[in-house]
Order: sequence, then structure tokens, then C-alpha cells
Amino acid sequence: MTTVKDALWRWLLTAGALLSVGLLLFLVVFMVNQSLPALRAIGLEKLLLGTEWRPVIYDEAPQYGLFPMLLSTVYVSALAVLFSLVLGVGCALFLACAVGDRLRAFLIPSIDLLAGIPSVVYGFVGLYVVVRTMERMGRAAGESILAGSIVLAVMILPYMISTCLHTMVQLRHGWQDASDALGVSRWYMAAELVLPASKKGILVGTALAAGRAMGETMAVMMVMGNAVLRPTLLGKGETISALIALEMGTAEVGSLHFSALYAAGLCLLVLLLMINLAFSLLRRKLDREGVL
Amino acid sequence: MTTKTRWVRLWATLAFFLTVGTVLFLFVYVFCKGAGALSWAFLTQSPQGTVLGTEGGIFPALVGSLLYTAIAVLFAALLGIATALYQVYYCPHRKAAEAIALVMHCMAGVPSIVMGLFGYSLLVLVLGWGKCLLAGGITQGIMILPFLEVRAVKAFQELDPALLESSLALGVSRGYTIRHLILPQARGALVSAMILGGCYAMGAAAPLIFTGAVLLSRVPTDLMQPAMALPYHLYTLLTQGTSPTHAYGTAFVMMLLVLVSNAAATFLTWRKLK
Repeated sequence: MTTVKDALWRWLLTAGALLSVGLLLFLVVFMVNQSLPALRAIGLEKLLLGTEWRPVIYDEAPQYGLFPMLLSTVYVSALAVLFSLVLGVGCALFLACAVGDRLRAFLIPSIDLLAGIPSVVYGFVGLYVVVRTMERMGRAAGESILAGSIVLAVMILPYMISTCLHTMVQLRHGWQDASDALGVSRWYMAAELVLPASKKGILVGTALAAGRAMGETMAVMMVMGNAVLRPTLLGKGETISALIALEMGTAEVGSLHFSALYAAGLCLLVLLLMINLAFSLLRRKLDREGVL
Repeated sequence: MTTKTRWVRLWATLAFFLTVGTVLFLFVYVFCKGAGALSWAFLTQSPQGTVLGTEGGIFPALVGSLLYTAIAVLFAALLGIATALYQVYYCPHRKAAEAIALVMHCMAGVPSIVMGLFGYSLLVLVLGWGKCLLAGGITQGIMILPFLEVRAVKAFQELDPALLESSLALGVSRGYTIRHLILPQARGALVSAMILGGCYAMGAAAPLIFTGAVLLSRVPTDLMQPAMALPYHLYTLLTQGTSPTHAYGTAFVMMLLVLVSNAAATFLTWRKLK
């Protein structure tokens, strides 16, 4: 009786594993397949480097160039990663070196709350706080790349902090006794030992945070103004994810526009898969070396 | 104390207080602004008004969000836990287990909007389900599947290996051991992963825009009907730009759900540690 049950159980688990892995691989194949008409008709080079995006024009040929959106996506994400690097590494260092184990166990879930807040709420607060503040400071329109990157920086902060903290806490515990015995001050240890040694951990955190930043849709869309322009710090911009979210509803199913939006999604997917692959391989390597 | 040490201390301290300040600010801001809109009627009525949502409440969106989330968590937990069990306990080759882990880690970062595109084409158009509760829920389920799987694997790996070994040594079958020893031991961690995954799914609007969420509907009575969702409702309230009070109220409810579910997940993890 047990053997039949066990065989069935094993079969079920295998089927589940095959289904999930298959589903995720199928997603990639499916996205490629949906983008093929656009890739054939427009050409990869024109799609990626074209600077005009005019999907619906009646008197001329429509233009499908993703370059401004690609640039905006990279611009806003890079800036957000920079902000959250400054804030996140400092915060992780403080949590690792200046706070006791019990207080840290309370503070980590509190900071992790940031990861749970819905992106629409971030967009909402960003619109009413960040954008309004910029308008009060004299800008005609506060929606900008800068506003987007500030909001994004807060959103990716928990990922940055938790990865850095993981490395730093281990380092601190490893050196605490030796430092105490030598009479080294807590902050000297933080500045001269823990911070330089956690470079690789910080790198992994940066990769994870960059991936998160690039894929974000709603919050960025709500505070960036969504104009297809060459991005500038205080100007409006539109990311690839915002482009898809805004235009998918109006694109005719099966049209070139429809397929071009899938191609835009595919660009984003390929970009993120590369970042994530680098991130996973790096983490595995560091895991083996015992750094992380 | 050297100058460098002093600067590092200043930087770390400022960064810490700024971060904690941001967390506090976000919750206090939304709770203070939203508290005014909150009432029993707000929670139990449908959105009304000439510009939709300026009057009435959020009842259908609240129920819709809970239903989408329930479908997503059910779908992702079944597949994710099965995959994790296979990866940890049944996979015949180490290379295959590593490959599964790599696929899951990579897919954990697929943007929610790409998930939305995939769900829209596959479920709504190709399979012909139309915009509905089931299509939206499953799209969100696919989104949180890698998240749940990775956490489930971690939960199983953190269990004492002696548990499995001694049980096998006593002649108990592997399947029985997993069902009656491993799964009950890991239950706290699994439930906490399901709560956090559900929280993530509940807050995501991007996968729902094309697959299920609509501007206004009644509470669905069937899986094949479309339904409202809180994040999408908040988004439409903002793009209309007419009713910040109701928008704050909606954000309040979402933040409250986040706070409660995170607290529950943390509590479950802590209880296990003790």
C-alpha cells in the first residue's frame, strides 16, 4: 500500500517540478515567438537604436525605435542604484557594527517592510511628496527622471541592505573577539575591516537591486511623466515597462504595434535575465569561497 | 579616532536614521492621510459617483484582491513546494538540481510587466479565457512561483539532515518521511513564505492590467468573471486625479494588509527559532 502511495507521491512531485521549470522556460520561448513579426519587419538594429516611437501615424510609415526608452530605463535605474548604494551600505554597516543582535533582529523585519509595500503606493506617495516638492522648488512639472530614481531607490533599498548586511554581520562576528582583545574601537573595525572586506557582498547586492530597479513598472510610470524624449535628469522620460503598460491596452491584437510591444518586453526580459544570471553565478562563486 | 573612522561613523549613522525615518514616514503619512477616509461604509460599499470612486467605497476591489491573491498563492504554493521537494529530496543528479535552482533564481527577477504580457497572450488570448479572475490569479501565481520555490528550498535545507537519515535508516520510506516528518517541521517557514508571496502578489498591479482587473465590477461569482483589484483601483483613482481622499483610504487599506501579513510572517519565523 505504502509503495503505491510513495510512487504516486514521487510521480506528482516530478510532474510539479517539470511543470514549473517548463512553464518558466516556455515563457521565454513564448515571448520570442510573439516578438518575431516585429523583429522581422523592423529589424533588431532599428528597434534597439531607432530614436522615434510613433506607432500610430496615418500619413507616414509608423516608427518603432526603443532607444529613448532603453536609455531612460538604464538612466533611472543607474541613478536609483547609486542613491540606494550610498544609503543602503551605510545603513547595513550601522546595523552590522553598531547594533546588538537582539535589536537587529527587530530592525531587519521593519526595514524589510519596504519590500512589501505595493509599487502603486510608492507611486502614489512619490507623486504627492517627491513630485510636489520638486514643483514647490520651482520646476514647472515635477515628474522627472530624478523623481523616478528617488522613488526607485527607496523601493530597492531593502534588497541592497539585506544582501550587504548578511556579509557584514558574518565579518563582524569573525573579528569581534580579536578586535576587543586588541582594544580596537567599534567604528575603527567597521571602517578599516568590515567595510573593505564586504566589497563582494556589496557587488551582489548591487546586481540584485539593479535587476529590481529595471523591472519596476507602476511606481516609475506614475512619477516620470512618460514622454518619449531623450532622458535628462530633470526632464520627463518613459521606461520600457511603462511603455508596455500604457500602450498594450490600445494596441490592436496581431498588429505590428502589438508585436513591437512584445519585442520591447523581450528586450527587458533579456536584459534582466543577463543581470540575474550574472548575479546567481557570482553569488554561487562567493558562496563557495565562503565570502557571503 | 582617525578622520576616516569619523566620516564612516557619520555616514553610517545618517544612512541608518534616514532609512528608518523613510519607513516610518511612509506608514505614518499614509495612515494619517488615509484615516479620514476610512469608515465602515468605505469598506463595504461599491465605488460610486459621476467620476468613479469619488463616492462610495472599495468593497469589490478588496474582495477581488483577496480572491486574486488566494488563487495566486494556491497555484504557486502547489507548484513551488513540489518543485522544491523534488529539487532537494528526489533529484537524481546534482547537476539537475543546480539547473532547477538556476532557472528559479533567474526567473525570480522577471519583471511583473513581462509576466502581464505573457499571461495576457497565453491565458486571455490563446486559451481564450478573456479577462478574468482565474487568468489574473494565475499570472500573479507564475510571478510569485520562483519566490516561493527559492524560499521553500531554503526551508528544507535548513532542517536537520539527521531527520531524513535516521528515518531512512529505520526503514521508513522516503515519501512517508517527507509527508509526516519533513513537511510538518517546515510548515512555519512555508506558511510564512506563502504569506510574503501573497503580499507581493496583492500589491502588484502590472500583471493584472491586461489579465483581469477592471474599472468597476461587482464581486465576482465565477472564476471566469473579471474582478476589481485594490492596486489597480488606486491607480485609476490617481490618473483621474479627482479624489485624493479615497486614494489615501485605499492606500491605507493596502498598507494595513502589508503590515499585518508581514507581522504574521515574522511571528511565524520567530516562533520557530524559539
